Amino acid sequence: MTVFLQSLISGVLVGGVYALIGIGLTIIFGVMRVINFAHGDLLMVGMYLTFFAFTLLGIDPFLSVLLVMPAMFLLGAVLQRVFINRVLDALPQNQILLTIGLGLVMSNTAMLLFTSDYKILTTSYSSGAFQLLGLSISKPLGISFAITAALTAALYWFLIRTDTGQAIRATAQDREAAQLMGVNVRRMSVIATGLGAALAGTAGALISPTYYIYPQVGGAFTLKAFVIVVLGGMGSVIGATLGGIVIGATESLAAVYISSGLKELVVYVLFLLVLLFKPAGLLGKSRM
Amino acid sequence: MDATPSSPGRAVSAPALVAWLLVLAGLVALPRFLDSPYALHMMVLLFLSIIMGEAWNVLGGYTGQYSVGHAAYFGAGAYTTMMLMQFKQVPPWYGVFAGIAVALLLALVIGSITFRLRGPYFVLASIAMAEILRLIVLNWKDATNGAEGILATEVPPLKVGSYLVTDFSTKVPFYYGGLALAVAVILVNWAVQGSKLGYYFQAIREDQDAAHSLGIHLSLYKNVALAISAVFTAWAGAYYAVYVGFIDPAAALGIDVSVQIVLICIIGGIGTILGPMVGSLVLVPLSEALRSNLIAEGLFRIGLVSESSPTGQFLRENLAHAHALIYGVLVVVVILFMPDGVLGFVRHALARRRAA
Repeated sequence: MTVFLQSLISGVLVGGVYALIGIGLTIIFGVMRVINFAHGDLLMVGMYLTFFAFTLLGIDPFLSVLLVMPAMFLLGAVLQRVFINRVLDALPQNQILLTIGLGLVMSNTAMLLFTSDYKILTTSYSSGAFQLLGLSISKPLGISFAITAALTAALYWFLIRTDTGQAIRATAQDREAAQLMGVNVRRMSVIATGLGAALAGTAGALISPTYYIYPQVGGAFTLKAFVIVVLGGMGSVIGATLGGIVIGATESLAAVYISSGLKELVVYVLFLLVLLFKPAGLLGKSRM
Repeated sequence: MDATPSSPGRAVSAPALVAWLLVLAGLVALPRFLDSPYALHMMVLLFLSIIMGEAWNVLGGYTGQYSVGHAAYFGAGAYTTMMLMQFKQVPPWYGVFAGIAVALLLALVIGSITFRLRGPYFVLASIAMAEILRLIVLNWKDATNGAEGILATEVPPLKVGSYLVTDFSTKVPFYYGGLALAVAVILVNWAVQGSKLGYYFQAIREDQDAAHSLGIHLSLYKNVALAISAVFTAWAGAYYAVYVGFIDPAAALGIDVSVQIVLICIIGGIGTILGPMVGSLVLVPLSEALRSNLIAEGLFRIGLVSESSPTGQFLRENLAHAHALIYGVLVVVVILFMPDGVLGFVRHALARRRAA
């Protein structure tokens, strides 16, 4: 029972970060109907930013979120303005291929700049743990979950309470109607991609103390982000939150009860089952 | 200009036919005049790329199903052939047909699951299926050697009865094997393009619902297109594995393989016979020139960059790893500026010139 609870808890904690990755992807998809295949590579860029902030400037990885978020927002906004904006009316497959191309450029630029060596970010608390009701919780995972929860709450507040947030939601619901109501749809697209990139980069910063950092790390996360988003229903922020936690917990339990090598396999099989039997996702047709 | 690739049907003009036959005759004669192993190697890579591109074209180009999971069939062909050869001493000549059979079976399973989905969902599901296969091969160490991969220690010669056809010790049999396969898959594309089957495929590509309402059995024809595609992709996988003599899960089943197959068509032009050939002619020499540091050497030679400068050092050390970066840049450029591929771009440019 302890093993079960222990792995469930660490799964849920990782799931919080997954949720952040998924929310970023789902916002981009919601506003522009473009699937961002470079999402994991944005996360990778966030990891490297965090790594160099730590090794060169001595900034704690969790503190570096303050730096990574605006930097990645900017990167996302530029990507939207320069590239994605031009394919908004193109065939979906061309949009997919464009973002695959952008991802290739990012990961291979990282490889040229930083080589393909694995980098590890070790902090003083990397192997530390909190004790809670007889269960031990890894410190990096616990802190990152707390930050994730705070960020997610702030994001909900932003989307629901602020004018910009409402405009984003309106654009996601119906692009044309929003435009007729005076929403600057182009600006919302830039903000959405910026926000998506910022969330992916932040997730990268938060997991950098617990994962290897290397140029190709994004691929696995791109696919994971889709699984999360599809699980929750494309375009749904609440769905992505839930999907992230479900995937985190599933992975963690599969690693303990099946085999750590097969935990991703379990996730993909789950993904296919959802696609086949509940293609609208666990939360049905809800939108953000 | 219309964005969808047009299909001229099966008609081939006499001059075009003569040109094709001349090219073919030249390619058949080429190894007599060109015995540099490096040149033959380049040609083998070119054939391989054409086979994969033309195979994908049947499903992606004519039928409009953008599979980004073709590594599954490539890997099935490569792994089945190599496992039979290395662990059961089955010559690859026979092993490849087992590989094709496995790929067909796999296509049936993958098709029945993924073809129920559309657009981005189909793309995602196709990736997931290939990833599942990669993870199985990676983890089933007893059968597949896991991440270590399989190294061919000795390729059994090809014999029919007691007659030795080839012993695979030079590159020449691979050259002719690749040429034959490339010609075969090009002919299949040509046959499909002008046939009733091909029109069904194109109807599905243009509008699934309309095609369905006209009585075209969607899943049947999608599966037929996938089967044709999978056969040649698996064949290419087996050919690659035996030629290189080594495979591992990343090289045979990784998402890079799938993306590369799609790129060949995207860059050349989708839904045309010439497209994958043009794409291969662009991609293969480019990535080989980068890999073998030809471009860095060239820059030194013409004096654009000094060999001893920091930039020169950087280029020498890194340009060889840059081919994937160049792929990425190419895709971005092609999607933004030549959405119909290099072929479509050239055609439009010619048409504009004629009009002017």
